[in-house]
Amino acid sequence: MLWLALYFPQLPLEVFTRGRQQAGALVVVEPSAGREQVSRCNGAAQAYGIRPGLTLPAALALCAGLAVQRRDRAREQRALDEMASWAYQFSPRISFEPSLLLLEVGASLRLFGGLPRLLEMVQRELGQIGYSVQHALATTVTAAGLLARSRPGCQASTTDALREAVAALPLACLTRDPGARNLVRHIGLDSIADVLGLPRPELARRSGPQLPQLLDRLLGEAPDPRPEWRPPQHFSQTIELLGEIGQTMALLFPARRLMVALCGFLRGLGGGTQRLQWTLMHRDHPETRFGQGLLEPSRDPDHMLEVLRERVERLQLPAPVVAIGLRVDDWLAFEESNRDLLGGSGPDGPATSDRALLERLTNRLGGQCVRGLRCHADHRPEHAWQLCAPGELDTADAMPVQHGRAQPLWLLAQPRPLQVQQSVPQYGGPLRLEDLPERIEAGWWDGFDVTRDYFVARSRAGERLWVFRDRRGDGWYLHGVFM
Amino acid sequence: MMPLHGKTGRGRVCTAMQVVDLDELKRNGALWQGRRSGLAPDSLLSSGWPVLDRLLGGGWPRAALIEVLSDAHQGLSLLLPLLARLSARPRWLVWVAPPHVPYAPALAAHGVRVGQLLLVRDVSAGQGLWAAEQALKSGACSAVLAWPAQLQTAQLRRLQLAAEQGDCVAILFRSVRTAAQGSPAALRLLVRPVPPGLQVEVLKRRGGWGGDSCIVPIGPEAMDDGLHSSGASSSSHES
Repeated sequence: MLWLALYFPQLPLEVFTRGRQQAGALVVVEPSAGREQVSRCNGAAQAYGIRPGLTLPAALALCAGLAVQRRDRAREQRALDEMASWAYQFSPRISFEPSLLLLEVGASLRLFGGLPRLLEMVQRELGQIGYSVQHALATTVTAAGLLARSRPGCQASTTDALREAVAALPLACLTRDPGARNLVRHIGLDSIADVLGLPRPELARRSGPQLPQLLDRLLGEAPDPRPEWRPPQHFSQTIELLGEIGQTMALLFPARRLMVALCGFLRGLGGGTQRLQWTLMHRDHPETRFGQGLLEPSRDPDHMLEVLRERVERLQLPAPVVAIGLRVDDWLAFEESNRDLLGGSGPDGPATSDRALLERLTNRLGGQCVRGLRCHADHRPEHAWQLCAPGELDTADAMPVQHGRAQPLWLLAQPRPLQVQQSVPQYGGPLRLEDLPERIEAGWWDGFDVTRDYFVARSRAGERLWVFRDRRGDGWYLHGVFM
Repeated sequence: MMPLHGKTGRGRVCTAMQVVDLDELKRNGALWQGRRSGLAPDSLLSSGWPVLDRLLGGGWPRAALIEVLSDAHQGLSLLLPLLARLSARPRWLVWVAPPHVPYAPALAAHGVRVGQLLLVRDVSAGQGLWAAEQALKSGACSAVLAWPAQLQTAQLRRLQLAAEQGDCVAILFRSVRTAAQGSPAALRLLVRPVPPGLQVEVLKRRGGWGGDSCIVPIGPEAMDDGLHSSGASSSSHES
């Protein structure tokens, strides 16, 4: 077994700042001995000379405009849980410690092309999700966690290497158990190596049973069962933005963080999604919800972002946004297509750009404004065509009714009544009717029955028009235009 | 006098200081050669009407902007043979803000595969322009037809560049009133209905003269032989 431990040293801070590209001076405080003490501070705060361990009044004295957040452990645990959803793509065995995520990667190393590639991918994606990370590898889960905290980058992939890696660490790193502390204080056992040199029964008598048990787990000499984590069925995550965002385009930054997390989640499930549901939360206003559709299942954050950009450009914000949430309820089994490898070339190249164009247009203009057209087998001109989803196949069963006569290229949305003078219809002057009429009489079965005589007419300006005489109402109407 | 500083069809600018490939200038139509058409045959698309091809020096310019000016959005029928041929390709035929409903059975009867049509309707002038530019640039369309309300010369220029970029025919149907406005279009036609069909007058043609006109027979007299035969023959030729 090989455990990869991911330790998030700045997690208490990053749960607040990850929604923003740049944040002002910020500290996270927690109570210590009855006083608020700085636990983490960001780079901007450090520039003012603020360091972890300062009391809050001292920090405020250094920087008047300091933003202060109380440490939120529930939120940190939620963040770890969300990262576990993302990390499920690398390993089905995931476990937690505070600020730590532990993955069993021994079984999946080959799948990801070896350890360096796996680590590179983990670090890149976590950066995009918004967390900085330290890692370590060890053959036991306890040791991996310990090394990630104390000796980041350490890779102890054999038992001997593990023994060597942990030996120099101070005992205080391993446990805060009071029995262990007594050992340090009373008989000067500083490092883990010092304790490992002692016979276990003697050690147990002096320190209590916990420490030897812990040492056995650390070295893999005793089983170390952990509760098994299961991924959630839905993806639903929220990033609270430090402060407010009033510009729609500034939302793309936290949105992309959510998309990278989503795509990791989808890879873990072997799925892709077609429908993203966004929620924007405002301070004093009901939340804004909108959906983002994709033409085919995807788990590519860059593609999703491109589509979202079109959608967001025409979004009107009723109020500044304080948090952004992404929810995906359903996904479909999805095979990574090979177009990534071929760079969009090959026979499906044009089809890909087809869909990209369609997606751009529908997301910007709305689906109602971008339509396809097809023929429909009906004698009534109003029913002889239909709007449909773009690119819907125009198959043989929808072949048009074959008229023996000329049909106009354009059909008016509504027949336009024509004036009649001396029983001759007028359109910028009298119309000259060409040919004999074509009678269309149909539709008694669906309540829209027509009884019309259609003529091709020539206007004084030379236009060829399609007009009809309604044989019931006896009026003349313009219905189509040739040319 | 050779206009050596003209902009070439591929968007490169040649200056008199540089060594200029004369054949390339001829191919791109940047070189004016009196009566003879300067455009290479592969940059032209046959219109399907012999009389119109003669007028246009071989056919519609490919990957370029074409303007069809008329009183009442006429001239679509001139394009039917071309559209029928283009619709055989797996590319979109985009119609931006058409004035009426394109009558699908009539298009199908002329050999146009209506499944390739993409209608952009009920959009503002700005959105329509955006959609036309996106479609032209995308490389996913074989032709973009648009019925814009009003266009500035800079906007026409953008569409012209987009058409070149996406190797796409761009056809704008505009009012006769815009004839006086300057335009970067490769071809500008004035279309008027006359009893046997449509009278087509060339206002401007890249690599050729303006001022000529012809009558394309689209009337009922031509229905049986002219339109159907030319439409059918060109579409079968392509497939």
